[in-house]
Parts: sequence; C-alpha cells; structure tokens
Amino acid sequence: MDVIIENLPLYWNGFLRTLFLSTVSGVIALFVGTLLAAARVSPVAALRGFSTAYVEILRNTPLTIAFFFAAIVLPRLGVKFEQFEVAAIIALSAYTAAFIAEAVRSGVNSVPVGQAEAARSIGMNFGQVLSLIILPQALRTVIPPLINILIALVKNSSVAGAFFVLELFGYGRQLANANGDQVLAVLLGVAFFYLLITVPLGILASTVERKVAIAR
Amino acid sequence: MTTQVPGDALVTLDAVNKHYGPLHVLKDINLNVRKGEVVVVIGPSGSGKSTLCRAINRLETIDDGVIRIDGKELPEEGKELAKLRADVGMVFQSFNLFAHKTILENVTLGPIKVKGVAKAQADKDAMALLERVGVGQQAPKLPAQLSGGQQQRVAIARALAMKPKVMLFDEPTSALDPEMINEVLDVMIQLAKEGMTMIVVTHEMGFARKAAHRVVFMADGQIVEDSTPEEFFTNPKSSRAKDFLSKLLTH
Repeated sequence: MDVIIENLPLYWNGFLRTLFLSTVSGVIALFVGTLLAAARVSPVAALRGFSTAYVEILRNTPLTIAFFFAAIVLPRLGVKFEQFEVAAIIALSAYTAAFIAEAVRSGVNSVPVGQAEAARSIGMNFGQVLSLIILPQALRTVIPPLINILIALVKNSSVAGAFFVLELFGYGRQLANANGDQVLAVLLGVAFFYLLITVPLGILASTVERKVAIAR
Repeated sequence: MTTQVPGDALVTLDAVNKHYGPLHVLKDINLNVRKGEVVVVIGPSGSGKSTLCRAINRLETIDDGVIRIDGKELPEEGKELAKLRADVGMVFQSFNLFAHKTILENVTLGPIKVKGVAKAQADKDAMALLERVGVGQQAPKLPAQLSGGQQQRVAIARALAMKPKVMLFDEPTSALDPEMINEVLDVMIQLAKEGMTMIVVTHEMGFARKAAHRVVFMADGQIVEDSTPEEFFTNPKSSRAKDFLSKLLTH
C-alpha cells in the first residue's frame, strides 16, 4: 500500500483530471442529448431522422471508435486542437449524448399525452409545450437513469488514458509500469478514486428519485 | 331556454370527414354554432362526438371539409394554429392540469407565456377566476392535492383565462364521482347564462335541458338530429335517438 501513500499527489492529480473530463463532457452531453431528444419528438421529419440516426449509430458502436474518430479523423478534416484532451471531451460527450437522448425521450413518453394537448389547447407552440410542460416533468422521471449514464461516463473517461490523456487511469498505468511488484495496490488505488466519484453519484440518484416524484 | 337573438356564425363545420384507417368516424359533418349559443352534443360511445369536439381546435386532423372559427379557416400546424387555439378554450374529460405547476400557475401560464400579460396582472385575473369557480383557497396547491371536481373547475378557469371566443367541453363530468358532477355543471350553467359560446359533449341530460339552446345527436359518425332540447327529449324523430333515449330512461 506504500505505493498509494507515496504517490498520493499523482493520484489526486489524476482524480481531478478525471473529474474535469467527466464534468465538462457530462454538461455538454446533457445539453446535446436533450436537444437530440427534442428533435426526436419534433414535428419536423428531417430532425427526427437525424436524431434517430445519430442516436442509433453512437449508441451501437464502441466508445473507442468515437475516440479514434475524434482523435484521428477530425484533425484530418481540418479540426485542429492543441491537446488530446479536447478530442477526449468531444468523443465522450458525443457518445454519452446518444444515451442521454434515449433516456430523455423515454421520459418524454412517460408524460401523459393530455399534458401536451392541454398546453397546445391554450395556444402554446411546440417549443413552449416542450420546455414549459413536457421536459420539466420528463426530466424529473429521468434523473435517476441520467445519473446512471453519468456514472458510466465517469468510468468511460478512462478510455482517454489510452489516447495519451493523463487522467486517473492514465496515471495508474504509469504507476503500474513503474512499480511492477505492486500492481495490485496501484489498481486498487485507482479503483478507490473512481469510487470516490461514482458512489456519491449513486447515492444522489436514489435521494433525488425519492424527492422529485410527481404526484398525479 | 332563453330565446337569445342568434349572433353570427362563430364555428362552422362544412362537409367534414375523418377516417381512422377503415373506420369512418366523421361522416360529412355540417354544423353551425352562433355566437352565444350553447350546443350539446350527445350520442352513444363511438359515435364520433369526442372526435368532432377535438377536431374543432385541431387536436384531431380531418381528412377533408372545412372548419372555420370566427370566419377563419383552421390553419395548418404552426404559429397561426397556436394563435387560433388561444381563442378556443378546451376542457378535457381527464382535466389535464399541468401536474408540476400550482393551481395558480396552471391558470396564469397561458396568459403570461402566450399572451404576454404581466405576471402581477395575470395573478390577479387568475385569482378572480379561481374565486369565481369556487377554488380560490386552493391556489398554492398542486393539482394532485385537489378532488376531481375541483381540478375540473380549475381546468375551466385555465381555459377562461385566455378569454376564448368559444369553449369546448369534451365529456367534462365523465371522470367524476357523482357527488362532484353538480359542482362542475353549476359552473358550466353559470357560464352559459353569461353568454359564453359553448360546445359540450356530455351524457348529462339535465345540463342539456337546463342550459342548451340546441341538442345535436350523433350516431355512427353522423349528425342524426339537430333540434331544441325540448323537442329532442320529448319528440325525437329518428329511431336511433328514440332507442338511445329509451336506454337512458330505463336506468
């Protein structure tokens, strides 16, 4: 266990990088995912088609493909970035957005159709019906699944370690290479710091679930 | 009931047809409702009366024919339609109050977001409407905390807050316990007396007798009879109507 104590600053640094990657990607994914879900239920067929195609492709291919695409294909298409970290954020948020879109869509479907009809009948347009009536109710029911998706995102961010982004897993790999005799301890340390993010998220999910239930 | 001078046509349906797949739910419907008129639509279930009601503010699309409100043809989906819907109040069988908003917010949301009324003014108007339908005390509560009858009265207040030209009621008392039906009907009768134009799909014959100018009887997607309540209840012409009324009276 000495290896963990000795390298605590390194672990801490990796922990912060992972937290940063996950938070930024999570916020972008929530925003993009909600837009995709809105497109999926919109009256415009082209938007529905785009959203469906996006969600199905991203959701049904491995995350590493999204990473390769962001890190290798995007630069060739002229999208330049200084750090691989930007590519990691693009890949993670693009991938996670697909799952969030699906969760939000199922939430939208859980709101009784009469809510939308009542909103339309007092003269609201599609955007108002969605933003004032449907999404506020839908988001409450999908907060627990959304948090589960964010937990998956935190763990998925470790893939960035394989793409030269130094985060928790990346540092862990360095440490494991440098301390070949204590690999188990090193990895346990890595796991601990992941749990430090994911366990509180899980607790938050169950707390929120109890609090925001809408009485009907 | 009261013999009002009939105003201009407010809602007109001209040769309206609608199909659900092979089912012909609205067959060549022609209907005129004048300003200030209260029209009750009755008929057995599956006769198309709810579909007719919902078609008037385009919650249901129609296959052909023309529906006009105050001279204007119902527009396609979009801004124009939203504007027109604001002029047509709708009360649903299942109330459909916004579950995440308070009673007061349910009533003020339309005026504030659709009409751009200032919040203070909207609150004041909404309180007056809630008092009028007898649920002023419930303003800060959420819909689920109210009884069905109270919720339906709030739904009426919510529709009235938009100052509609016509009110549509789609079986407003069908989901209510018997002891709550009257509190809703009283509000509707009051509204009729004040001269509101109303199209009411209902099974409440008492309401039809008390407040309606006209009774429209539908069966199998067609308008079978269109007469005064007195004439319809005492001297129905069609055998369909006679059959329907006799079934009601035996219970």
